[in-house]
Amino acid sequence: MDVHTGWQTALGLTALGLPVLLALTAVLTARAAPFRYAAVAGPLGLALTAVVVAGTVLVGGTAALTVGVRLGTLTSVMLLLVATLALVILRYSRTYMDGDAGAHRYMRWLLATLSAVSVLVIANNLLVLALAWIATSLALHQLLTFYDRPAALLAAHKKFLASRMADVCLIAGLVLVQGAVGSLDLDAIETWASTHADLPVSIQIAAFLFAAAACIKSAQLPLHGWLTQVMEAPTPVSALLHAGIVNIGGFLMIRLAPLMANAPGAQLFLVIVGLTTTVLAAAIMTTRVSIKVSLAWSTCAQMGFMLVQCGLGAWHLALLHLVAHSLYKAHAFLSSGSVVEAWRIDSIAPGPERPSAGRFAAATVVAFLVVGLEWSVLGLLGEGSDFPTGVLALIVALSLAPMYSRGLASGARTAALVGLMGLAVSVAYFAWHALAAEMLSLPTPKVLPHLGWTITGLGFLTLFLVQANVQLHPEGRFTRVLHRWLFAGLYLDERFTRLTFRVWPPRLRDTATNPTPTPQLRQASA
Amino acid sequence: MNRIEIEISDQRAEFSRTTSTAAVVDLEAAIARTCARIAPAWPLDRFIAVNPLWGMTNEPFFEVAAKLRSLSGARLLMPLAWYREQREEGRLRDEDLDEALRESRASCSRGELLSQLAEEDIVVPMRARMVDVADSNRDLTHQVSWPDFVRNSISQFCASYFDEAQSALRPSRAGGLYASWRREAIGDKSPRLLMGFRSHAQVARELPLTSEDMIRTALADLGVPPEQWDDYLASQLLDVNGWASWCAYRRWTARLKASDDDTIVDLLGVRIAWEWMLLRGGDSDVAARWKRALARWNDVDAKAHAAQSATRIFQRAVEIGWQREVIDTLPAGLAVPRPQEPAVQAVFCIDVRSEVFRRALEHQDSTVQTLGFAGFFGLPIAYQALGSSETRPQLPALLAASLRVTDTGIDPVVGERRVQDLTVSRAWSTLKSDAVSTFTFVESMGLTYAWQSLAAGFGGHANRKLDDNGLTGVVARGRKPRLAKLENGAALTLEARCELAAGVLRAMSLTHGFARIVLLVGHGSATRNNPHAAGLDCGACGGQSGEVNARAAAALLNEPAVRDGLKRRGISLPESTRFVPALHNTTTDDVELFDLDELPATHDSDLVALRQSLEAAGARTREERSLNLGLANLQGRRLHDAVRQRARDWAQVRPEWGLANNAALIVAPREHCRHLNLGGRSFLHDYRYEEDTEFKVLELIMTAPMVVTHWINFQYYASTVDNVRYGSGNKVLHNVVGRHIGVFEGNGGDLRIGLAMQSLHDGRRWMHTPLRLSVFIEAPRAAIDAVLRKHAHVHDLVTHGWLDLLQLDAAERAVFAYRDGRWVKREGRQGSGGQQPGSTAAVPGGAGRTAG
Repeated sequence: MDVHTGWQTALGLTALGLPVLLALTAVLTARAAPFRYAAVAGPLGLALTAVVVAGTVLVGGTAALTVGVRLGTLTSVMLLLVATLALVILRYSRTYMDGDAGAHRYMRWLLATLSAVSVLVIANNLLVLALAWIATSLALHQLLTFYDRPAALLAAHKKFLASRMADVCLIAGLVLVQGAVGSLDLDAIETWASTHADLPVSIQIAAFLFAAAACIKSAQLPLHGWLTQVMEAPTPVSALLHAGIVNIGGFLMIRLAPLMANAPGAQLFLVIVGLTTTVLAAAIMTTRVSIKVSLAWSTCAQMGFMLVQCGLGAWHLALLHLVAHSLYKAHAFLSSGSVVEAWRIDSIAPGPERPSAGRFAAATVVAFLVVGLEWSVLGLLGEGSDFPTGVLALIVALSLAPMYSRGLASGARTAALVGLMGLAVSVAYFAWHALAAEMLSLPTPKVLPHLGWTITGLGFLTLFLVQANVQLHPEGRFTRVLHRWLFAGLYLDERFTRLTFRVWPPRLRDTATNPTPTPQLRQASA
Repeated sequence: MNRIEIEISDQRAEFSRTTSTAAVVDLEAAIARTCARIAPAWPLDRFIAVNPLWGMTNEPFFEVAAKLRSLSGARLLMPLAWYREQREEGRLRDEDLDEALRESRASCSRGELLSQLAEEDIVVPMRARMVDVADSNRDLTHQVSWPDFVRNSISQFCASYFDEAQSALRPSRAGGLYASWRREAIGDKSPRLLMGFRSHAQVARELPLTSEDMIRTALADLGVPPEQWDDYLASQLLDVNGWASWCAYRRWTARLKASDDDTIVDLLGVRIAWEWMLLRGGDSDVAARWKRALARWNDVDAKAHAAQSATRIFQRAVEIGWQREVIDTLPAGLAVPRPQEPAVQAVFCIDVRSEVFRRALEHQDSTVQTLGFAGFFGLPIAYQALGSSETRPQLPALLAASLRVTDTGIDPVVGERRVQDLTVSRAWSTLKSDAVSTFTFVESMGLTYAWQSLAAGFGGHANRKLDDNGLTGVVARGRKPRLAKLENGAALTLEARCELAAGVLRAMSLTHGFARIVLLVGHGSATRNNPHAAGLDCGACGGQSGEVNARAAAALLNEPAVRDGLKRRGISLPESTRFVPALHNTTTDDVELFDLDELPATHDSDLVALRQSLEAAGARTREERSLNLGLANLQGRRLHDAVRQRARDWAQVRPEWGLANNAALIVAPREHCRHLNLGGRSFLHDYRYEEDTEFKVLELIMTAPMVVTHWINFQYYASTVDNVRYGSGNKVLHNVVGRHIGVFEGNGGDLRIGLAMQSLHDGRRWMHTPLRLSVFIEAPRAAIDAVLRKHAHVHDLVTHGWLDLLQLDAAERAVFAYRDGRWVKREGRQGSGGQQPGSTAAVPGGAGRTAG
């Protein structure tokens, strides 16, 4: 037992090494050689993390420690994610930002942000977690306003206001938890939750506040405006934000799963807010004209879906979604300049014409057959032909249908290849789900959320119908009306922005240093 | 000339304003003139260089500079601090200032001028537009300004209207841009919500139905006097110059196809509609302020003019100073005879990057004669890739394609497969972007991107040529792009092929004295994740790699039947002469040879020697370029690896310096400037006037390559002096619009044209010195005069100071400059002497170094 604890302490200390390393590098980063230490910190950080993860697997358990570090599957996965992102983004920034007059300032805040995120991931104490989250937000603010352009300042200001609202929710929740549980240590909360299936009202409220904080910080509608407007910072900052920071809300929900599972009100709230954002943001995404903004709306929608999964108690899926989305989105941002090359390649073989309704219907049938078959096989294997899996299978089938409608147009070989591709994707989908379920088992909600799964399925069905309509009738009346509202983002952000102008207007420019010539309106003396 | 015309028409306008159709005609003319002032900007997949002020070259450069200062706030000269630096570093000398003063006929003395150099830049106001007036009582420290809001709103709409690939949902294009915008404007709530424009909904419903009606109504209601129409309308388009340039591009390409496109008029209508709405929606106070602002316009113009009176002389003096260095050293080479019996003739593109490589190659092997010629090798082609139903122009933007090149040597079935494979991979990518499947895609494939990011960040995979996509390595190596037919579908007859071949050889002044191997070297770049990659490719090939052109041209010239035809035309190609196509990778300075399977075995030993020379020249070129890439500490193989690594680094924002620091075009036989180290700053075009009996080739050079090099030169110039309006800003903020249309800097704002700061500046100093192009032509002065008389737009370029025309006189071993219709002998720094050829003479400031 002592040896075991000793090992865990050692692992905990090693885990602490990552934030310390990143923070130390931030401090050492100098104007003269802004990238010198960061070049070492990235690989070293990943190596440290590998040690922690390997150790956790060998030693096992999810024990909390005297050093305040919480080990376990969730920590390992998140730590690996953060270290990988840090390595990739630091390496990228080294070349990308070379020559920028403020490169050292950029690197410092980048490292500080990463350091704060890694503290948050390993912390065993909710207060530490909350403070690290706030520190992350403040350090990120420096990166978002790295260039003091008016649009950058406006977006960062909106983010600042939203984040502080979330902080208030979070701290209020902490106070309530402290009052009821008597501790903010995650292990203590977990133990407490296992013996308090019926949560007192104060904890129900706390769960709701945590859910609200998660929604706000995950850029859920209608407070999403800041996320879709922060392309005013260098590309790697967008990658970091979209891959490593905006999803912390989801992480918090998974961390607090023992508590959240018994708070149906908060769970329902997550499903409703998340699903609304999922459907609307995904639809709005299809009206966006620039690559980075389109990616940002996609993030908004993906975070919505992650919160839906939390709300449904599918914690393992939420974690899978969080990690997979992070890695995908970091790559998508960092490689966003490549869309022009993709366009040049596409110009060699322009896409098939828009499908007829008949072809689209046929493609949908094929997609349902393919996924239905897989679902049946899953059932035979005893891997769950339950209702939630059914809803997920529906989503997969709806995903494949539009792709199949494109593949069916260009001959048998293309159809076969696209068909196989769809099969591969869906097999991978269910395989990852099964693996995630193996790795992470957390308490499921006591109320079986059939209702939640049903409305989730309906939400995706709606989204599918909207997409099918647009694909089949791009010039149709419904499409026109839809375009107007979606292109305007339903004016949600306009309303929020106007509110911020009234309540706490941002400082958008320093008129003294404004380099643009001022138009002459009247006599020069005036 | 122009001014008089306008005055006459203005009087007519005044007279007929209320009644007759004359006003309508007049307004149409004003709109047409305004739209003609906007130069086209090509999309990112064909990102060729353009002078963004091309539509204004019918006016003197400094006049245009002053006018734009006042109309849009653009600044077309460097800040005084930059000229101070030039002075401190010896590039702004007394004698050059004196010369510039004489030219400008300014009345001040050098002393007075120099005292101004110590001062700070004068802050000049710009003409107020209605959007500015609407801001006059608003708190701009805490609120979004009207100009920003309007520009962004128009820009977002335009992006959505023109997009064909990024979004799935777009506004209806029925009725054109203006009609579409008008439908969306009615019911747009953001002006009310964000800007507090309460009556917007009501005013928007009153918008006229067509853009012309809109413009007419706005001009009348805003009370813009007819003599101000042109400038006021220009100020409207200049406010959304990026999208105006995009519309001008649509018009340019339509007109090349003998069609037309009026979208730019619609854009003008949209922009001026905002001015009108703000007036209608404002109170009487706004109207009164607008009237006062309008009354100040002429005063603002005068201030803008006065503000540049000293700076323009400094600019001119720096240019004169640089020219002097060339004038000092160039004439010494004018007596060098044509090289006899070279082993290899290597024809490179006129591109300034070729100069460095050619110098290295000549140094490596004195039996190699290099030549300069536009990199499309005179073939006005469109390329149809294997299996593709689409074509891509591979020729200068000034021309329409008349010939078709396709891939041969491959079974057509392979082409069909390629299209299928590309269709499959496109279907795959829709999984990422479709509304529903994006969620499924993330969960099934997202984790694999960890590996992709790590692989890209640490090593990266090798660069792949655009036209190799969808093909296996064997097939890609086996395809042979060849001339197939005329672009209109008709067959390409033998006669036509012979005519084409003769034209190409005459245009490159290579009609006798052929070597055993004639290398046709096209060029292309290799970069990763770079939206502006096409800008580093061959501009003469429409922003593509020149491989296709070089291979088609070489095959044409190797055709036995064509050679017979050439003989009948007086060009006798020896049996032993073989044309070999090649591609110069300007990022890595590797040279790749093609179609060697068609080279007879008799040339094997020539090939071995040539390959060695090319490799050595590449190494030497890389060493010269390494100074500016921060790789000066590396040599040989390690340098080669580092350069290749840059080419495939997805984070690299400065893969190569492109055409930065270009300053001159020399039209002369190469041997006459071979003794110079021009530091990669000069375009080189071979030309032998003695063989050009009717000066047809001279006319071609002055109307095509000279114009194109001017476009490149001015793209760099304008992007440097005003990167906000004519450059695309910070590359780390670039956000590609419509997958190829252009970039936003950040979230939105206007579409950005021109070059990024990272292409001009290394973070410490400017890598491009903004000098207007100095064109040196070795041809009789009378012949040059004749071309100028014949082509008004070329004449304008020269007489209006958009470039500087100089003549190389071999007989007198002197340089003459074209000044106000006369030729004036120019002196170098050291008087008329000059160095002897033999050892390479460096032009000071040549080795890629610039000020800053």
